[in-house]
Amino acid sequence: MKLDRYELKAGKNLTVFEFISDGPRGQISKLIQFTPTNYKDLYNLAFGDKHTETGQIDDSVISNNGDSERVLATVVATVYAFTDKYPEAWIYATGSTKARTRLYRMGISKYLEDAKKDFVIFGQVHNEWEAFVVGLDCEAFVVKRKNRKFEL
Amino acid sequence: MRTIRELNKSNVPVVRIDESLDKYDNVILFPDKVAKANEMLRTVGLPKVNRKRKHA
Repeated sequence: MKLDRYELKAGKNLTVFEFISDGPRGQISKLIQFTPTNYKDLYNLAFGDKHTETGQIDDSVISNNGDSERVLATVVATVYAFTDKYPEAWIYATGSTKARTRLYRMGISKYLEDAKKDFVIFGQVHNEWEAFVVGLDCEAFVVKRKNRKFEL
Repeated sequence: MRTIRELNKSNVPVVRIDESLDKYDNVILFPDKVAKANEMLRTVGLPKVNRKRKHA
């Protein structure tokens, strides 16, 4: 299933993306970044609002722009674009709050069957990784694009 | 070459390159999140996945 999503811009390395959320609270610029970690091929995925005047990035702000599903679909689209360019990448993501992590968990659960066609998805439960299933109460996620080398 | 219809159906989005975003390449925009990811790696590591064996 392909969800409605926003148009994307990216830097030439496809590690930073930008899009404009458009809703009842106006147009809000959002930045998404895939940042290398201390572990080879593992990237942290995070996104937040860019303040139009100061350029400051804030991943704790609650935009309330009525488009959370479209925003998440757009973020997922960047995961496809990023892993097209970096097929060996693992991507780690967690919410800035428990509530936000729960929102992401619900989003993944809703479209899990489609997502599993292209990605292996794990949820972090305490100090273990478990294959993500609907209802898994996890604190973070890690995903990897499926290819011929890996299987669950 | 893929058609517009095929592109619109694709999960991989059409992305416009904007070189003004390159200024963020060496900037960590979300340092708290990256620190959390590194801490997770230190304590939990990555999930184990099986590599498919090549058939002779």
